[in-house]
Amino acid sequence: MGVVPPPVLSCSHSLMTQTTEKPVLVSVQNLHKRYGDLAAVRGLSFEIFQGEVFGLLGPNGAGKTTTIEIIEGLRQADSGSVRVCGLDPAQESMSLKERIGAQLQSTVLPDKMRVDEALRLFAGFYRRSASVERLLEQFGLVEKRHTFFEKLSGGQKQRLALALALVNDPELVLLDEPTVGLDPQLRRDIYALIERFRAEGRTVLLTTHYIEEAERLCDRVAIMDRGQLVALGTPRELITRSGQGTRLELRLAKPVGLERLRVIDGVIDCHEAEGAYFLRAQPPAATIAALVHFLESDDNALLDLHIAQSSLEDVFVEMTGRRMEH
Amino acid sequence: MAAVRIALLTIRLVMRTKVALFFTFIFPLVFLFAYAGLIAHGKPEVVAYMFGPVVTLNIMGSGFFGLGIQSVMQRERGSLRRYRLAPLGPRTMLLSNLLANYLLQLPTLGLLLFCAVAIFHMPMKIGWATLLILVTVGTFAFAGFGLTIASVANTMQEAQVYNNIVWFALLFLSGVTFPLPMLPRSIQRLAMFFPSTYLVSTFQSIAAQSEPLLKHWPEMLVLVISGFFGLLFAMKLFRWEKEERISTRAKLWSGVFVVPFLVMGAWMNTRANPTATWSRSYNAMEQDSAAAPNAQAAKLNLIEDFDGNQASQELSSLWRVTADSETRGYSVAEITLSTPGAEGTRHAMRLAGRLAPGPKNAEGHVSVRREVQVPANSKGLRGIEFETRGDSRVYQVAFQPPNVTQLGSLTPAAQVPAAVGPPALPCPLPAISFVPSDAWQNVRLPIAWLANPRDRGLAAGPWILQLSVTGPPGEFTIDLDEIRFY
Repeated sequence: MGVVPPPVLSCSHSLMTQTTEKPVLVSVQNLHKRYGDLAAVRGLSFEIFQGEVFGLLGPNGAGKTTTIEIIEGLRQADSGSVRVCGLDPAQESMSLKERIGAQLQSTVLPDKMRVDEALRLFAGFYRRSASVERLLEQFGLVEKRHTFFEKLSGGQKQRLALALALVNDPELVLLDEPTVGLDPQLRRDIYALIERFRAEGRTVLLTTHYIEEAERLCDRVAIMDRGQLVALGTPRELITRSGQGTRLELRLAKPVGLERLRVIDGVIDCHEAEGAYFLRAQPPAATIAALVHFLESDDNALLDLHIAQSSLEDVFVEMTGRRMEH
Repeated sequence: MAAVRIALLTIRLVMRTKVALFFTFIFPLVFLFAYAGLIAHGKPEVVAYMFGPVVTLNIMGSGFFGLGIQSVMQRERGSLRRYRLAPLGPRTMLLSNLLANYLLQLPTLGLLLFCAVAIFHMPMKIGWATLLILVTVGTFAFAGFGLTIASVANTMQEAQVYNNIVWFALLFLSGVTFPLPMLPRSIQRLAMFFPSTYLVSTFQSIAAQSEPLLKHWPEMLVLVISGFFGLLFAMKLFRWEKEERISTRAKLWSGVFVVPFLVMGAWMNTRANPTATWSRSYNAMEQDSAAAPNAQAAKLNLIEDFDGNQASQELSSLWRVTADSETRGYSVAEITLSTPGAEGTRHAMRLAGRLAPGPKNAEGHVSVRREVQVPANSKGLRGIEFETRGDSRVYQVAFQPPNVTQLGSLTPAAQVPAAVGPPALPCPLPAISFVPSDAWQNVRLPIAWLANPRDRGLAAGPWILQLSVTGPPGEFTIDLDEIRFY
């Protein structure tokens, strides 16, 4: 297809110094997977350390689900190497499934299966299992324990899916878009559960296309686009190192040419939309001082100013030249 | 163990789903009632003959639509994906499906049997073990069919098309709907390639001709092999996801599934002669069916055979012995059960005692009587008959409306009012005298003719049957059995 691979923004060096003491639980090296003519994953490599919450962030079609399903042993890679908990998912799938817990993007169970029946059934499949009563309590499903699956709300179904991922008390929890389609309140509930996983010391791999989810939950994030890794590191490091600077949104008393704003000290880029000017600035404090000085000398006035930190979205835009489509 | 867990839960889910309940338990009954009512016209022997096709139909339905379609539906719906995350393989999933399908089959079979026996009086001509083996083998074979179709079909629509083609072919061309001997010769030849033919004909041979199951081992073997082939293909081609497709080549390979049937069909067409067996079963059923109404009618006309479990109690509650000792005479008598009864039956009634002269040298007299209900439509009844043996005294038997006075004396002078409905009798009906012998012999009392020569039947309601003996002093013994209307 002639797609030029984007440069990878990696902060792994500094991370390795932080995490060298922790063992690697998941190792993905040069992973490739095609579906016919479509290359879903192209040369993906990353490692997940024990005890961290690792995020695969990217737009739909980035290859996140394919990657997580190869790690789960549900799909075979075309090439590359994957080791999970020291096992090869393709060859040692049964042993691996004893040690991991997974939640699918969409979990479907028989309509007339009750919540506690589902948990007991799946807990019975494993050599080691968690207490069903405790899971019901932990995931707020005690009152719904006798409810049929078809009668559960979207949030309750998602909580049941997460509880099912923990029935075998796994070392590694794999969550594929755990909050997709949920309203903000339910999303926050799920965030709290994932934070609890972290507090319990579990290793979590989650895929998401929500920036705030990755920023809030993940210790490290791998940003994917079109099957490739475009950035890897902690959210803070990625934002800092991306050189995106701070975002300034300002409204002025009189219009001013963009070329005059661009030459202000510290301004990296600027554009205008709907009467507002959007600047990226680094360092922000010096840039704001220079901006105020410029406006005074131009007999102009600052009507409104918003200052915001850059986000992973900005990192994605910088690395791919596109906005992340949700 | 995981397979058992899933199977048990699947059964529980079926019990919670109205549609599944209908197709599992009610639908087979619809077929039973249709076959027993419309085809067998309620004749027990024909119902026994058609029971095999009904069970086969049920087994086929559960294989094709219960197991086959359910497997595709689970895959299409995405519920298999969750199981895939657990340490379970295709073998566990398939075994759980097979097990659930089989365990659901058993209560349905019980229900069919219960209705066939209780409602249609079907005689149980197949032993329990044989029935269970037939159902087990059949369920396994048709599960193979369902699983193979589920394996090769990429979508629900595709599975429905395959299912319907095979289903209707088996339904109409293999003796499931029409008895095999009634099919044209060309269709019979074709039927020899169909597994449902093997199951139906085995059922019918055992039911109609009491053939041993072992005689049908080739059919059973082919059914078992086909079940294994189906399971093998299902394991080989098992797919967890609806997105997974199988190649045309794999589909063609699954055609190997029909090889056992082709071999069996060819053998049957060239070497074996199953049509003769089919005809023998059919003829045996027809003969039994023709004979059965007589036996049934005889059963309906029976008044007393003294063979029931309560015969002893009934003897004392229904029959009343009267001797002249009640009127200052000295004769004594009692009734007991004697063994065996007439025609090799269990019991007969024995009236035994001693006649003694009464006051003024009157002859001793003993009688025994009971009430007999004359059915409402008695027009076809001609009288009462019974089997008897005894000493060579003269005995009298009479059958009278209950309101005749001085029945014991059988005095013809008494005026008898009408019982229920016509005809009114001017006097008690005359008694018949007979002298029994050591051997059982049949005695007939032509009541209808005596009561109404114009053949208008007996008045419905309770009548009195009375046997009496009178004569010179001394011991007497008489046995009575198989008392019935004729």
